[in-house]
Amino acid sequence: MSENADSMQNRHFLLRRLHSLSGIVPVGVFLIVHLVTNSTIAWGGLNSRVDQEGFGWFDRSIATFQHEVSFINNMPLLLLIEITLWSAIGFHSILGVYYAMSGKGNTGSYKYGGNLRYALQRTTGYFGIFFIFYHVATLRWGWTWLVPGGVEWSHEHASSTFAAALQGSTDGFTAVGFLVACFYFLGVSALVFHFANGLWSAAITWGITVSRPAQKRWGIMCAGLGAGLMFLAWVSVIGFATLDYDQAREVEDQLLGESIHMNVDDAHDAVTLTGHDDIDG
Amino acid sequence: MSEAEAYSYDADMRKANRKQAVEGRSVIFKIKRCDGPGKSTRWESFKIPIETGANVISSLNWIAANPVTVEGTKTTPVVWDSSCLEEVCGACTMVINGRVRQSCSCLIDEYAPKDGDVMTLEPMSKFPVIRDLWVDRQRLFSNLTRVKGWVPIDGTYNMGAGPKESHEQQQMRYALSECMSCGCCLEACPQFTKEEDESQWDSSFVGAHAISQARYFNEHETGKQLKDERMDALSGAGGINDCGNAQNCVKVCPKGIPLTESIGAIGRSATMHAIKQFFQGKK
Amino acid sequence: MADQKRVIVVGGGLAGLAASIRVAEAGMAVDLFSMVPVKRSHSVCAQGGINACNDVARQQGYSEYQHFDETLIGGDFLNDQHPVLEMTNWAPKIIDLLDRMGVPFNRSNEGFRDLRLFGGSLFKRTHFAGATTGQQLLYALDEQTRRFAAEGKVNMKEFWEFLWPIIEGEGEDARCVGIVAQDMRTMQIQSFRADAVIMATGGCGLVFGKSTNSVICTGGAASRCYQAGAWYGNAEMIQVHPTAIPGADKCRLMSESARGEGGRVWVPAKKGDTRKPKDIPENERYYILEERYPKYGNLVPRDIATREIFDVCVNEGMGINGTNQVYLDLTHMDPDYLTEKLGGILDIYEKFVGDDPRFTPMRIFPAVHYSMGGLWTTYTAGDYQPDAPISGFKPGDAIPVGTEPGQGMEVGAHNNAMTNITGLYAFGEVNFAYHGATRLGANALLSCIFDGLCNGVSVVNYVREAGHTPAAEIDQSVFDAAVKQEQDKHDNLLKSTSNGTGDRKLNPYQIAFELGEEMNSASTVVKTGSGLEKCLSKLEELKDRYSKVELGDGAMWTNQSLSFTRSVGDMIIIGEAIAKAGLLREESRGSHYRTDFPERDDDKFWKASVAKFNASSGKSDVEFVDVKAGLVKLRPRDYGKTESSAGAKKEPVGAS
Repeated sequence: MSENADSMQNRHFLLRRLHSLSGIVPVGVFLIVHLVTNSTIAWGGLNSRVDQEGFGWFDRSIATFQHEVSFINNMPLLLLIEITLWSAIGFHSILGVYYAMSGKGNTGSYKYGGNLRYALQRTTGYFGIFFIFYHVATLRWGWTWLVPGGVEWSHEHASSTFAAALQGSTDGFTAVGFLVACFYFLGVSALVFHFANGLWSAAITWGITVSRPAQKRWGIMCAGLGAGLMFLAWVSVIGFATLDYDQAREVEDQLLGESIHMNVDDAHDAVTLTGHDDIDG
Repeated sequence: MSEAEAYSYDADMRKANRKQAVEGRSVIFKIKRCDGPGKSTRWESFKIPIETGANVISSLNWIAANPVTVEGTKTTPVVWDSSCLEEVCGACTMVINGRVRQSCSCLIDEYAPKDGDVMTLEPMSKFPVIRDLWVDRQRLFSNLTRVKGWVPIDGTYNMGAGPKESHEQQQMRYALSECMSCGCCLEACPQFTKEEDESQWDSSFVGAHAISQARYFNEHETGKQLKDERMDALSGAGGINDCGNAQNCVKVCPKGIPLTESIGAIGRSATMHAIKQFFQGKK
Repeated sequence: MADQKRVIVVGGGLAGLAASIRVAEAGMAVDLFSMVPVKRSHSVCAQGGINACNDVARQQGYSEYQHFDETLIGGDFLNDQHPVLEMTNWAPKIIDLLDRMGVPFNRSNEGFRDLRLFGGSLFKRTHFAGATTGQQLLYALDEQTRRFAAEGKVNMKEFWEFLWPIIEGEGEDARCVGIVAQDMRTMQIQSFRADAVIMATGGCGLVFGKSTNSVICTGGAASRCYQAGAWYGNAEMIQVHPTAIPGADKCRLMSESARGEGGRVWVPAKKGDTRKPKDIPENERYYILEERYPKYGNLVPRDIATREIFDVCVNEGMGINGTNQVYLDLTHMDPDYLTEKLGGILDIYEKFVGDDPRFTPMRIFPAVHYSMGGLWTTYTAGDYQPDAPISGFKPGDAIPVGTEPGQGMEVGAHNNAMTNITGLYAFGEVNFAYHGATRLGANALLSCIFDGLCNGVSVVNYVREAGHTPAAEIDQSVFDAAVKQEQDKHDNLLKSTSNGTGDRKLNPYQIAFELGEEMNSASTVVKTGSGLEKCLSKLEELKDRYSKVELGDGAMWTNQSLSFTRSVGDMIIIGEAIAKAGLLREESRGSHYRTDFPERDDDKFWKASVAKFNASSGKSDVEFVDVKAGLVKLRPRDYGKTESSAGAKKEPVGAS
């Protein structure tokens, strides 16, 4: 075999495996973090560290979410992290589309569960790319002309502006806004499925699960993980889609202006403080 | 009944059909015909009296002796590939009621139990048609060469017994060795697509059949000697990584070969092979 | 450098592949012709196993020599003795070779090759890979052939049909220098030159209509050689397998290994008992073979088992519910054990019949299975030349001959397995030499591979040493004439399409059907002189109708009807040789059972029948020539039917 063919072969292998890997690290890991963060809009009320007087469950959720967003926005080299993520998603997407085009679904004749998942993996991939692009373009890159109602997302008003973007206006649902919310619902569902199923599939690709029982057991675990993430994804979308803009705005303003008191043992703050201490000391 | 229910359900349905098969019935066979490469395809229907134990082969035999369509038009006997008729040679594979299987083991009672029921026969879609139901599966054998599907013995002269093998290992290898190269796994695979250009075969998806055979030879003491070469072939374009894990292969395999386990095992070998190559710095 | 000379192998079953490998290994170019991808050859259907003496049996008193002796008595002494001795001596080495090729032979707990009991022996001497041994062996050889093909040493010609051997010269000088073959897809007819041609084309089951054979086993290729002047030996010796599953398109084999692993053949003891088999208590069952042959029981040779089952059903009317079927019962065995040892064939039964044989007794009946007869071949005897034939060899007796190669046949002699036509060889089932009047179970795979490995050397030596003009230098006109002959036959058949009288009697499928019916009823399990005479006149009628046959398909591309119709004509001719030799053999021997001559007649018929095609009359002339014996003395073949069963144990006493 010629050198050239060898290197072609190695490149093919490397790309294929990097495609598989990139879906898990960093994209999949980011997806988990992102969903956990965003879903605080639904369960952030549990956060007892937000002990602002007069805050109800939803206020605490909004505050928690805002706090998480602020934390992320204050991360050092955020842009680098973002670019890494975008490249990984881009890499995974472009190769994924190329690979997916090489197959030809046949669920019409062979309606086996595995085959349906295979077809869904590809459909959710295509759809997911479209969704992620919309999501990032409208909320991160500020392409407000794509947002019904034209609201621009602001990290200082994370909940309210996102809710407005989902609902189509700052005054609750518009018809188009409802479609956007549905689009989000489908988008996150697709990505969660894509990730969970991809995780199952990757274990075979890498040769981690070989025997049928192993594949089945790992499948159950992936399904469990998928169900958990799906739950987080759904409550996030529902949480923001039903969020009251004015209420969120109020909480966020309070956070900005009066600086809500957080418990001193708050991990994020502690890190920042320690850092300063070191420099000073 | 939709023919695309889950496999086990399908088996139950066939069993139930067999019990209620009507004696002395006639069944309509809709057959996709084509006079040769590049020729147009057409459907022809035949009404065939069903005798006890009839299968697709006996029905095609009946047509061969009475080549007249339901419309009463005289036509030519249907051309199809067959050999053993015991579901062990793999020749008579075709697409029956939308799904691939051997036609010899396809009993009419299981698919068309009532008078006037319709059965459709089509050639496999992933291989070029030679004529009617007969397709050219040369690519399938070519893929065996691609993965060096043999044990590299020194020669045929007497050199004593082969390597000793445990009972468990033999049972494992035997399960893989029953593959008759029929191509069902390839026909049902969404990643394996038709490729008529022979020069593309070595870079197109190799399919479960050859992957499983590669594993079969990797598992033999002497066969192992070619493992690196097999893994080279399977790591490249069209190799193991092109599998999309739809797992139709294992569902349609008439011999119940654990094809998806072979895919996992070869995936593992490919991973190890790559790590080994990376650290040995050979390439 | 490789030879310029070439060898053509026709047929890609075990014999053809073994020959290809051996010849290619010797550095000679091979063109391998097969009607199907070689992996789909009929050898794939063999189930039970392959016989060879082995260390365990050896310590119990078994030997290669006894394997030899068993094969002869199984064949009722009609076998050529020297090739059989050579074959059984080679057998253990052949197993070793297959083992090295990676055949997944079943293993004992300790990792040694497992063994099973088979018909005609009291020793476990059958090696097996599940219940698909033929498949496994074929694949192993297929893989080795693929390796040679990948190296360019074997040129695969798959989907090519052999039409005619090209013979140059007349009489004694006649020599095979190539073949005419047709691409079954493009229909192109072409000649191919070769310095030797090996026919490894298998049997002729389709002559009998429904048989256990594959649809390609028409015997057409052998018949064409026969019509070209090759002699056909022991045509009348057709093995009817006792246990097959009757079906609409064919009879599917139910391996002898089902009995080897403990299967019992029975019918309800009370005629017309309609109870389900499970409801019939043990004492109301008639275990046909165990009661009639207490020593060998269910493992008597096939011809005997077949005749007894036939007798119980046809003569005594005791078949299940009055049908021609008996039970083959495995339900007393452990289902898991059965799955491991016989899974392949039990699944086949379940797929085709619908009952699980692990829990419901199988319903079976005999069906045509194997042709002991085939192209007549010769050989050069080896070193072992006893002063007088050995008589009555028993386990534990001193073994009169060693096992080194060359005792039975002179290995590499030019004429081993050569037909009467120089340079035309016959290997495997189409070679008549090994199995006499009945083949023992699990000897077929052995004889096929043995022919390829042992006699492949003879072919190489012949091509290198015989000093003939190389085929490449022979005048083109010889080849053109043969192509023209076949092209004319082909064109005439094509032309017949347009006749279109629609007369059913001239339909090739109808003619083939009637041929099968007639041959099956007159010339299989039980034959009579009058039946065979009637059969011969029926064949005359069929031949006449065939001369006016009307083809249903005039296509110039992939015309299967044409190929089939052409072989129908050849099948009638082989059928005639079979019936005629059967009519003239006025005795009963092995598979050949004449009710009008029920005894073996050694004085008149310890002879091989040799059929020669008379080109002017278009008929077979049959003569009888002495069997090539001299190693073992004739003795009666009774398998303990008359002997007392006392003292005959299944497991012989160990060597200690």
